[in-house]
Amino acid sequence: MTKMMYRDAVRNTIFQEMQRDPNVVVLGEDVVGGMGTAGGPEAIGGIWSTSGGFYEAFGPDRVIDTPISESAIVGAAGGLALSGKRPIAELMFADFIGVSLDQIWNQIAKFRYMFGGKTKCPAIIRLIYGAGYNAAAQHSQSPHAILTGMPGLKVVMPSTPADVAGMMRQAIRDDDPVIFMEHKALYGVQGEVPDDPDFVVPFGHARLTRAGQDVTILATGMMVGMAEAAADTLAEDGIGADVIDLRSTSPLDEEAILDSVEVTGRLVIVDEAPPRCSLATDLAALVANKAFASLRAPIEMVTAPHTPIPFARELESAYLPNPDKIEAAVRKALAYN
Amino acid sequence: MQLNRTDLLEAYRRMKIIRDFEDFLHDEIAKGEIAGFTHLYAGQEAVAVGVCEHLSDDDKIVSTHRGHGHCLAKGCDVEGMMKEIWGSREGLCKGKGGSMHIADVDKGMLGANGIVGAGAPIAVGAALAAKLDGKGNVAIAFSGDGACNQGTTFEAMNMAVVTKAPAIFVFENNHYSEHTGFEYAVGTDKDIASRAEAFGMKVWRADGTDFSSVHDTMREVLEYVRAGNGPAAVEFDTERFYGHFEGDPQRYRGKGELDRIRAERDCIKKFRETVTEAKLLEGSDLDKIDAEVASQIEQAVAAARAADRPTAEDVLADVYIDY
Amino acid sequence: MSKIRAFTMPKWGIEMTEGTIAEWMFGEGDSFKRGDLICLIETDKITNEVEAEYDATVRKILVPGGGDAEPVGALLAVFDDGSASDEEIAQFADAFVPAQGGVAEGKQKKKEGKPKEADIVGEADKPRAITIDTNRPISPEALKLAEAEGVDISGIEGSGRGGRITYQDVQQALRGPSIASPKGTAVLPEETDVFASPLARRIAAIHGIDLGSIKGTGARGRISKKDVLAKVPQGTGSAAAAFGAPFQAVPNEAKVIRFDKIRKVVAKRLTTAKQNIPHFYLRVSVRADKMLELRKTANLVLGTKASVNDYIVMAAARALAAHPDVNVQLHGEEIHSFPHADIAVAVASPKGLVTPIVRQANRMRIDQIAHRTKELIAKAGEGKLGFEEMDGGTFTVSNLGMFGIENFDAIINPPQGAILAVGGAERRAVETDDGGIEFATVISFTLSVDHRAIDGALGAQFLATFKGLIENPEQLFA
Repeated sequence: MTKMMYRDAVRNTIFQEMQRDPNVVVLGEDVVGGMGTAGGPEAIGGIWSTSGGFYEAFGPDRVIDTPISESAIVGAAGGLALSGKRPIAELMFADFIGVSLDQIWNQIAKFRYMFGGKTKCPAIIRLIYGAGYNAAAQHSQSPHAILTGMPGLKVVMPSTPADVAGMMRQAIRDDDPVIFMEHKALYGVQGEVPDDPDFVVPFGHARLTRAGQDVTILATGMMVGMAEAAADTLAEDGIGADVIDLRSTSPLDEEAILDSVEVTGRLVIVDEAPPRCSLATDLAALVANKAFASLRAPIEMVTAPHTPIPFARELESAYLPNPDKIEAAVRKALAYN
Repeated sequence: MQLNRTDLLEAYRRMKIIRDFEDFLHDEIAKGEIAGFTHLYAGQEAVAVGVCEHLSDDDKIVSTHRGHGHCLAKGCDVEGMMKEIWGSREGLCKGKGGSMHIADVDKGMLGANGIVGAGAPIAVGAALAAKLDGKGNVAIAFSGDGACNQGTTFEAMNMAVVTKAPAIFVFENNHYSEHTGFEYAVGTDKDIASRAEAFGMKVWRADGTDFSSVHDTMREVLEYVRAGNGPAAVEFDTERFYGHFEGDPQRYRGKGELDRIRAERDCIKKFRETVTEAKLLEGSDLDKIDAEVASQIEQAVAAARAADRPTAEDVLADVYIDY
Repeated sequence: MSKIRAFTMPKWGIEMTEGTIAEWMFGEGDSFKRGDLICLIETDKITNEVEAEYDATVRKILVPGGGDAEPVGALLAVFDDGSASDEEIAQFADAFVPAQGGVAEGKQKKKEGKPKEADIVGEADKPRAITIDTNRPISPEALKLAEAEGVDISGIEGSGRGGRITYQDVQQALRGPSIASPKGTAVLPEETDVFASPLARRIAAIHGIDLGSIKGTGARGRISKKDVLAKVPQGTGSAAAAFGAPFQAVPNEAKVIRFDKIRKVVAKRLTTAKQNIPHFYLRVSVRADKMLELRKTANLVLGTKASVNDYIVMAAARALAAHPDVNVQLHGEEIHSFPHADIAVAVASPKGLVTPIVRQANRMRIDQIAHRTKELIAKAGEGKLGFEEMDGGTFTVSNLGMFGIENFDAIINPPQGAILAVGGAERRAVETDDGGIEFATVISFTLSVDHRAIDGALGAQFLATFKGLIENPEQLFA
């Protein structure tokens, strides 16, 4: 095990896989950084410091610094993947899927199906997402719900450095297109990462991070830590919470969710995104439909409100879920009779 | 024209296959037997064949919603395509794609595409893959005078130039983006190639109804791109014999326009006249091909009609490799 | 394969050691369905109905109805699916070894030498047999439930991913299908130029009203429910037509409802209690404002939803702990006084009045009491109260306040020594400390006391403590 930051787990895993497999290619805005400037290549090394040293090690044909053209970045990833490569495209901010959505939604996600299963499209789209940086409405969003709703895509949202390493490696070796969502506020989080160069975390396997009997809390990404904090506070009052980190929203580990709710009978879903047509409502529908008999209280959802993400510190804090809101939701569920 | 007899016969056969394929479909669709939207390529055969005759399976193309011609020129199986258009599970895409999504990646055909302008970025990706492999292969994005107005096309052209990708942007100007005239919708003074030029590419222009012109131009373009000079673009002036989609009443056409273009701008007719006048081929050679192709297409239609239909379970297959 | 099942004397409650078959509802050779009444079993405390938990055929009855008491676990009958031979059945009955007195041991009953094709019943208290096909995907809780309830999962279609069986699937299988009452579908005309709310369209369709004839008064001219209802013709035999007609009597025939087993028991017990116990009654009015106020705050703080009755149960329990001479049961010529209060709460259930018990309520916090009573009431509503949950008790609280009853006198629930009847909260004018008048919320209580066990002064002291707790409810949280 090596202790490292979430961002280093991204970088190191991609680096190792690029050494292992010459078909792995990286492309995106400023993945080299400094191209065409006095500072020269690698003056930056990616604004999130997740591709430092790549250019020097693998050269311009495998580390492709692109213009600001998200449609072309994602489209090119699709073309590379159809041509036998394993491209990793980076969208500097997940919010930029807006300008590249056709290539994600109508192209990459559907190639295999439209072509009758006769091809594969092993492309990875890295999305750096999430609030917490006061980056306001166009640089803070968590668009996992719309992507999860697209058949053909896998959508993963690791919450720890170890999961980043295991899931990035799985994504690179996976033959289906993967939306790899990295929470920008977690980049500095430290954690132990296995040294095994073949360590993978398969998709569709949720992680139980706290075990209790009274309530199930579902979370992804940055919400996992908040759910754990709430669970720890509740534990002081003797309230036991199952905290489940979904890890991937497509495929979804239905079994883990239903098994937990069958025991606890109460469900609190934490979602960083707004509430309508969201991951939270999707999970609530799943449980209402398949574990109705086990529920002892209405399903509680702790989500962002139905608003764009505001800028000011106070406003962003009010917008985001937090441990207090989660704790209150748990107590509400427990108080229901 | 620098083609030998065999190559000329092959080129004619390919063009004729496309023409008959589309003419047959036009009639069949009118009978109501075929589901969905179909956009026919008839009239533009010289472009698809003139371009693809230069390509191997390792060269990639990305096509458009009007993709039958590109598919057939790139070597997709006639019967497999017909079955696909009929929605059979024996089709090239098992009935999942239909007319607008025919693909055969093994043949270097990365798909027709229902989204106008979506193909160019994909072609750039394929070109970047070719560049990485370093074997001199290229990727070609077919676009029309409609797709040339999409931002994706612009993004793709710029990225190809920036990354020196061996991509070729082939613009087939058939004068209509859906039901709107090229003179209205393209702002650069009736000229698409100049746009590519503005992105820093070397460009060519040629008559798309003249097979030899297309073929000769593409030889030059491919030599240039395969040599590692980065991307290039070509604009072919061509004609669309049918409507935007089957069922299009074409009220936008001028009086006698269709008769005129069929009389003066039919690439197959022109090919026939040129090669027979130059004594490169005999009329009887071509008549023989006509008969063979007609029977081949009839057989394909019969096979498509008789082919297995997909079942409800097939809906769920082939979304993922492993989920 | 023939599935031979043992039907044994069940164990209801910790104390039950034996029972008597009062009556078999089926004879040998008869088949029954899940949910059918198989037999009546009497214990020294109650007579209970035994429902079938599976479909089967009665192959052999070893203990006839009306006979002697049999110990818990004794083989009473042998069931199967009708396919086993008489020999196999006899062999099974001969080889049967009763469980040694309990659930835990009963689980390991399968022993060598048993008919190898037969699945033997597991728990002694629930006669059933089950083979769980573990090759099918099933959630752990669902498996537990299937095993506990003897559900055959082979017929269940799993609703989880990849056909996995969920807890809900098993529970649904246990309940069986509900009886649907389809109401049919009204075909609504296509909405063209008329703009009406969905509800308005539904009502119009039911009554055959043309929406085009209605002027909408809703937002942007939309036709609302109100607009349509205004057009619905009122009852055809209108009031005006009937006016002046002479009164005509209609037949008034009694609907005869026979006592069921439960009602028989209740009737017998209440009659005995009312006839044999020398009741006397103590009445008191208690100001409840503070308690109602505190309840609101406490519910918020504790995140619980305790009812007024929960507070009354709590106050009574605490008062009983302070007056153990009231916290008594009467057994013959013995008075049994208990240190902790097991409070029975009277609940109306589909099967009649039941009195499940909140045990040691004097030791519980209010949220624990609330939780327990909710649980018991829910079970009562489903008719699922176990014997253990109703057995014993040292005191009963019966509340009709929610129906607006001012006060009433309850019948003591033997062997308990007293029962508290709770009336409704009323606003009453009361005298203030300085001789003025104010309005207060007052609840009336009547304590019915068994004079053989408890004297008037004892009962009065208990009530005084009880009243003090309700009027100063913060003491309940001390």
